[in-house]
Amino acid sequence: MSERPTGTVNVVDPSPLNWLCITYNTVEELIRTDKDGNNEPAAMSDFRWLDDKTLEVDVREGNVFPDGEELTAETVRRAFDEVQKWTSPHPPGTQFNLHPDTKLEVVDDHTARFHLPETDGLAVGKLRAMHLMNTRFWEGPSFGYERQGSGEGHW
Amino acid sequence: MLSEGYSSLDTEMAVIVREPFAATWLQHEDRTPLVRLAANTNYWDKDRGPHLSEVVFRNDLEYEDALELVCSTEGEVDIVTMVPPEAAKKVENSEHAKLVAHDGIYSVAGIINRDTEGLPPLSDKRARKAMNLAIDRGRIVREAMFGHASPLAGLTPDSALPEENPLSPYAHDPDEAARLWNEAGGENTRPIRIAAFEENGRVARAVARDLEASLGVDTEVVVHPADAELRVRRRLAEKKLPHEWDVFIFGHGAQSADGVALELHRAFVGKTGELRAGAVLPEFEALMGELFSKTDPTEQAEVSARIDRFVHDEALALFLAAPQSLYAVNDHVDFTPYRVTFELADTRMGEEHWSLR
Repeated sequence: MSERPTGTVNVVDPSPLNWLCITYNTVEELIRTDKDGNNEPAAMSDFRWLDDKTLEVDVREGNVFPDGEELTAETVRRAFDEVQKWTSPHPPGTQFNLHPDTKLEVVDDHTARFHLPETDGLAVGKLRAMHLMNTRFWEGPSFGYERQGSGEGHW
Repeated sequence: MLSEGYSSLDTEMAVIVREPFAATWLQHEDRTPLVRLAANTNYWDKDRGPHLSEVVFRNDLEYEDALELVCSTEGEVDIVTMVPPEAAKKVENSEHAKLVAHDGIYSVAGIINRDTEGLPPLSDKRARKAMNLAIDRGRIVREAMFGHASPLAGLTPDSALPEENPLSPYAHDPDEAARLWNEAGGENTRPIRIAAFEENGRVARAVARDLEASLGVDTEVVVHPADAELRVRRRLAEKKLPHEWDVFIFGHGAQSADGVALELHRAFVGKTGELRAGAVLPEFEALMGELFSKTDPTEQAEVSARIDRFVHDEALALFLAAPQSLYAVNDHVDFTPYRVTFELADTRMGEEHWSLR
């Protein structure tokens, strides 16, 4: 088979989660799930708990958006700042929220730390809901900002 | 990357509890007739993909037409998701498509209304266990789900577990079911009210049959049409009005095998659960609190297993089955199913595919 992408596939997907399917097929998060549904690093190459309230992630190097913008720890910071604006940004519900008092520290171009006010061992999995977008997206449609004037329920 | 169209949502908030604040969103889909995705050749994971140049989501077709097209033609539809189990044989026997069946992380279970009146108190574990013992899960899998499902022990489907499930499904034991039901005060009660959305109507009727046969009670089944779904979901989530059902047959999934308790058990039983129908259970909340306190994945898995056992042992739901995800896929498309999402980066095609000719 050819190494470059080839061919066209037509899909009919009636799932009420189609919006999420499109998102996961076009956008990346720090973490994704493998074929078996287990969390695995995606836009991050690794992570670790420095203590039970500090989650440090290594942002994968060399990751580039289609428009050429590099995905760095600043990209993570922007996504974090945007998602934390909202009370209930994720359509499934507030169970995917990080604590509202969480702080993000950019340590260097490819290292970021989440400082949580209380232990949340499920925070790693919740990063699946924090989509990493380029500057052009934030200055354009964003998640609901342009159409609805709000990101509530549109992440 | 997205090159044309969109698949979006209009949302209405439903508040579950205010302290701590918990909400879910009722969703109206908004899609353009076509959504095109173009290969991102900058994607870092070259081993994974993409292998396809373009994916087109065709929202301009009725589902029945799409299923017919993928089976009987080439060039129009290559993949159809959410094939209903009653259509599986049609796909398997078709000229141009194959059935891809995969175990997702999705459970069909009955939400038990522990606040209901006029029956043995469903807040009584004996009554809930009786209902679980009344169910012939094997027959529901065979007949209501056409064999494309696995019986549930707790709420966690076997597909989400790295090893053999330590829990076993409740046995089908009508005699013990009747004994427990009557011990809990079940003689001469009103009919058991069972509700469902259309997708689970067949399962609801099978559950009704089993409850009637085992417990000696009448049942009433209400299948809500699609245009009632948002209203019903709001009433479920907000819990401001009494429910008009005793058991609601509901399908719910998780977005990760590592977070099943966050999505399934919390939803069905937890204080912040959009599906909870009954009092908050301090012991369950303590278990969830313990889960959140663990950062080590092994410790999380251990607590998750205890949560599933608690929900199972207390019979906090009517455990039914985990249906497979079924796809109709063109014979020249090598589709890799994922348990929790619909991913296409890994998908390849053979040289005989219509788009390569």
